[in-house]
Amino acid sequence: MIDEATVARDPIIKCEGVNKWFGEFHVLRDISVDVLPQEVVVIIGPSGSGKSTFIRCINRLEEHQEGKIVVDNMELSHDVRNIAAIRREIGMVFQQFNLFPHLTVLQNITLAPIQVRRWSRDKAEAKARELLERVGIPEQAEKYPGQLSGGQQQRVAIARALAMEPKIMLFDEPTSALDPEMIKEVLDVMKELATSGMTMLCVTHEMGFAREVADRVLFFDQGRIVETGTPEHFFVNPQHARTKLFLSQIL
Amino acid sequence: MATRSDPRITQTMVYYQEPPVKPPPMLAAGPLAWLRDNLFSSAVNSVLTLLVGALVIGLIVSFINWVITQANWYAVIFNLRQFMVGRYQVDAEWRLQVMLLVIAFTIGAALAAWGRISRFFALMIIAVVALAFVIPVAIRAVGVMPPTYLTAGATELQSGSSTETPLPNVGFIGQAGETISLQLALDLSADDEALRTLHSFGDVAANLLRASAENRLTNAQRIAVINAQLAEDTPNYRTLTANQRTTLEADLGRLVVPDPIAESLALNQTPINFRILRGSTFEPILEGTLAADGTAATIALPEDGWYILETTGDGIGLLETYGIYPHLQRDFSRLEELDEAGNVVNAAGRYQQYVRMTDGFLTEEIRPRIDGRDVPMMIIIDNQYRGDRTLNDYLVLYLGPFLEIINDALLWIVIAAGVGYIGLGLINQYAPVEAKKRGSRAVAQRTATWLLLALPVLMFVLAYGVGGFLPLTDTRRWGGLLLTVMLSMVGIIASFPLGVLLALGRRSKLPVVSTACTLYIEFVRGVPLITVLFMAQLLVPLVNPQLAEVDNVFRAMVGITLFSAAYLAENVRGGLQAIPPGQEEAAKAVGLSGWQITLFVTLPQALRLVIPALVGQFISLFKDTSLVAIVGLIDLTGISQATVAQTEFLGLRREVYIFITLIYFGFSYIMAALSRRLEASGSGAARRV
Ligand SMILES: Nc1ncnc2c1ncn2[C@@H]1O[C@H](COP(=O)(O)OP(=O)(O)O)[C@@H](O)[C@H]1O
Ligand SMILES: [Mg+2]
Repeated sequence: MIDEATVARDPIIKCEGVNKWFGEFHVLRDISVDVLPQEVVVIIGPSGSGKSTFIRCINRLEEHQEGKIVVDNMELSHDVRNIAAIRREIGMVFQQFNLFPHLTVLQNITLAPIQVRRWSRDKAEAKARELLERVGIPEQAEKYPGQLSGGQQQRVAIARALAMEPKIMLFDEPTSALDPEMIKEVLDVMKELATSGMTMLCVTHEMGFAREVADRVLFFDQGRIVETGTPEHFFVNPQHARTKLFLSQIL
Repeated sequence: MATRSDPRITQTMVYYQEPPVKPPPMLAAGPLAWLRDNLFSSAVNSVLTLLVGALVIGLIVSFINWVITQANWYAVIFNLRQFMVGRYQVDAEWRLQVMLLVIAFTIGAALAAWGRISRFFALMIIAVVALAFVIPVAIRAVGVMPPTYLTAGATELQSGSSTETPLPNVGFIGQAGETISLQLALDLSADDEALRTLHSFGDVAANLLRASAENRLTNAQRIAVINAQLAEDTPNYRTLTANQRTTLEADLGRLVVPDPIAESLALNQTPINFRILRGSTFEPILEGTLAADGTAATIALPEDGWYILETTGDGIGLLETYGIYPHLQRDFSRLEELDEAGNVVNAAGRYQQYVRMTDGFLTEEIRPRIDGRDVPMMIIIDNQYRGDRTLNDYLVLYLGPFLEIINDALLWIVIAAGVGYIGLGLINQYAPVEAKKRGSRAVAQRTATWLLLALPVLMFVLAYGVGGFLPLTDTRRWGGLLLTVMLSMVGIIASFPLGVLLALGRRSKLPVVSTACTLYIEFVRGVPLITVLFMAQLLVPLVNPQLAEVDNVFRAMVGITLFSAAYLAENVRGGLQAIPPGQEEAAKAVGLSGWQITLFVTLPQALRLVIPALVGQFISLFKDTSLVAIVGLIDLTGISQATVAQTEFLGLRREVYIFITLIYFGFSYIMAALSRRLEASGSGAARRV
């Protein structure tokens, strides 16, 4: 979570007038938002409003067509080296986990550090075990993803993202595919991560999480940021009619 | 229907007592219950079971019956080497033996790494090997060599329009110490029924006797049938039209039953004088008279080589001979042999071998000549034989010799596999503990993987050579199973990377690459393999004469590889398409580059998904190599065609093709079984998230 000392720092993610179309469909409209280091930003909004598209633009899984996205002082462009460098700084966790089913948990986590960061196997494995400890499943290292529960898989996915020692973590509805009893174990890991000072962008429908952890909430609707503010502002005193409607529907 | 006032709905209930956890009830078990549940569960099922069961049993019984009593396995047993390695150079044959041992060793090692040999299985294998040694000995001890009959004496035989003078001299080859026994075949002289079963091997005069007996019997039977039909006052007779009656009567007029040949020739009624001569010197080693009182004359042959059985006398007798095996004469063409200095040591040309078909005993000695003419041999064109054989004949003539040929190889294979199995087990056991971090058999598995990877290379190097200690062999002499295996092995191994590259290329974002790959794949899939092979053999040399110097075998390998790669590419592409896009996204998100994603994430999963399809394709590649027979290579199929085209094996198509069918099936089945293992195994299981 953000503390006084960091407020003055430069933003780590800068988006200016980002626009994107899927064919004729204008999916992101003039998105401008800055994220400060160590800030936890929660993105909410109705389904289809472009939340996923937006955060996927940040690590270039989607390409924006207008505007500027700067991550850690590197601008996202067609330059392949820039993309690679930026992806090294950004971890991402998906709704469907997307673990590699043919690799063990340990191999899932160590693949990128070994191949991309060129760490030795020993170093990567030590780091992986440390991360597994951190997400609370050290004993599952040798298993295959198919042998784990959804909550465990998502925690492995978080560990996999963290193994690259990213500066920023993106979460795209990390708990939406989970059974209710497993949601908490994943949220706990995310909370711990937030407390440790990780910069996080989370798309989520977990309002409790947003209220407790977020520094800022962005409300998306139809490809635009309709309202933004602190959680207190947001949940106590929302201004925009769309926000009010949305909150009334989900709370 | 329950209403709101139903106390069962409105009442709140809390259960504190937990029902006990019980084991499942004993389900009906045992073979009978299984039969009832699976084969006779309903009326339709029962009928199906019985029908199919009867069909299967009937087929099996008649097949086994054919195998034992009718089939003639000489072509297979006699040409076993050809079927296995073709005309592979004899002086390099040890390399193939080494190859076989290496393969067996690797199989043993692989079993130690991933499988397990149960005690029962090991005992079974040992028992099989032991049986392969014991059975031939037992057969020799107990089985009776079926007699060979030949007619003897000077009288002309006459049957229909053909006449035949029984042979006064017949040559045969024998091994030192073997016993020959001669006797008048009394039980055959009596009646037509007995004569018909005459067990002769191509002895023309004996064939004549048998044919005439056969003739008499059929004619007599046909006359009896017509007589019955023409018998007056039967209901049958009244239904005959006048026309039919005249036809039948005309038939009857034409049918004559010739005199019984045994009677008219006074078969076996006069004593027969005989001599056994050494083939080289014509010096008699036994002399005697065979008379109807039936004592047998026996003689132990003093040395290996040719002998002549000479018969004289006015009468005609049917001799029953034991110990004179069927044999044949073969002509071989020999390549010119040079010594180191390049001088001709042995001119190219044809030479003859005389081979005993039952046991492969052969001599190259010149065949004896009497009065400037070759002595007739007991030439055996056994495939002309009609009629039933007994189980005894089958065992003595086919099973025993066959086992004797293969049992040494079998023993060595089992020993090599055993050494591999035990050796790898020991290596694993004494490996340092930290090496086994990834599983108790990690060391064995790593070693076996290396062995398996090295195996094809080793096989190729052994078979083809590298020069120096292993001089290059002449691929034109490769043949049989060796050629089939080499073609498919090279085809599979070379087409795999090529196919994967084509699949990746077809999915490439670069239009030039993807169009080129697509064109290639679609073109190759649009032509039959046989055209590809013809192109490799015939067109390529026209395009570039230098390529004509490349061996046919290698050109076929290239053709098969290029052909198979296109199909493989499509299979792999199917697998790649089945990988959910989330996999690639996740891989991108952790920073992997394009080729790293392919290599570590999508391709391994895709290959795993398509294991069944790939193995299916490899199996069909293995079988499709048989097409090279059409472009003149003598693989397993080619050698079969060549074999059944030889006069001595004419008419043995069925036996030969059944034999190679078994080989093809065995290999294909092993591949399919391995694929199933691979799919189910830890590293191969397509795990779902
Ligand atoms: N690859 C795509 N092609 C076309 N339309 C897309 C694609 N991905 C998303 N969309 C559309 O863009 C809109 C925004 O999607 P998304 O960002 O996933 O919304 P959210 O995550 O807020 O639910 C949706 O209407 C969706 O149908
Ligand atoms: Mg979404």
